[in-house]
Amino acid sequence: MIGNAVVLGVALLVWGLVFFYLVRLERRIKELERK
Amino acid sequence: MIGRALLFAWIAGWTIAAFAWAPLVPVLGETTRVLYFHIPAAWITVLALGWSMVHSLLYLRRRRLEHDDHAAGAAEIGILFCIAATASGSLWAKAMWGSYWNWDPRETSIFFLLLIYAAYLAVRSAIDQDERRARLSAIYSAAAFVAVPFLMFVVPRIYFSLHPDPIINPRGKIDMDPRIRVVFFALLIGFTALFFWMLSLRVRVARLERRGLAAQGGAS
Repeated sequence: MIGNAVVLGVALLVWGLVFFYLVRLERRIKELERK
Repeated sequence: MIGRALLFAWIAGWTIAAFAWAPLVPVLGETTRVLYFHIPAAWITVLALGWSMVHSLLYLRRRRLEHDDHAAGAAEIGILFCIAATASGSLWAKAMWGSYWNWDPRETSIFFLLLIYAAYLAVRSAIDQDERRARLSAIYSAAAFVAVPFLMFVVPRIYFSLHPDPIINPRGKIDMDPRIRVVFFALLIGFTALFFWMLSLRVRVARLERRGLAAQGGAS
């Protein structure tokens, strides 16, 4: 059970980082497009 | 922004459901959860490479560089998901079959697919001039996609494979527990939405790069 919780936690963390990166990238693209 | 947050909540929520709600397949045990990542990643590979082929043909017909942006972006994302599918499949193979790599027909097919599309990126990086690069890589991408259905769907059905039956079996039915099916298709939808978001970002970056180069060219 602990092993499952660790795997799930890592999976959610990785998904969170991927989304964080993509949202930041999109914000930067919008800035550049405005210029 | 709300759409992005909803997509994250969708993928995170169904990932939690994969652990807490969907049952395990008896033969696969705890490794059942790899299914919810491995197969959607393989699906995005086929979708992305197909998208690349369609936009390559559109480029050859209309000669608009936006189609080349779509073709190149989709191929890059397709390769990324292809690597993810290969890596997750390899870990799954170690757990189920005792070895990371077995030259199973599907493993061999995905290996060749990676080689073919790595060559596509090599072709693109070797040509500087936009129109020439777009034309040659469009011809390559359109021809390369012929191998995709053959390698992904035909070869694994011809030869003996360690892989289980495809999701849609030869009788045209989906043999899955209803809860596994719900989580699986929900994540398939989530991955598909993620692909189109990533593609839109890649296309916008390509447009900005071209605009930057055009501005530099105009200034010089």
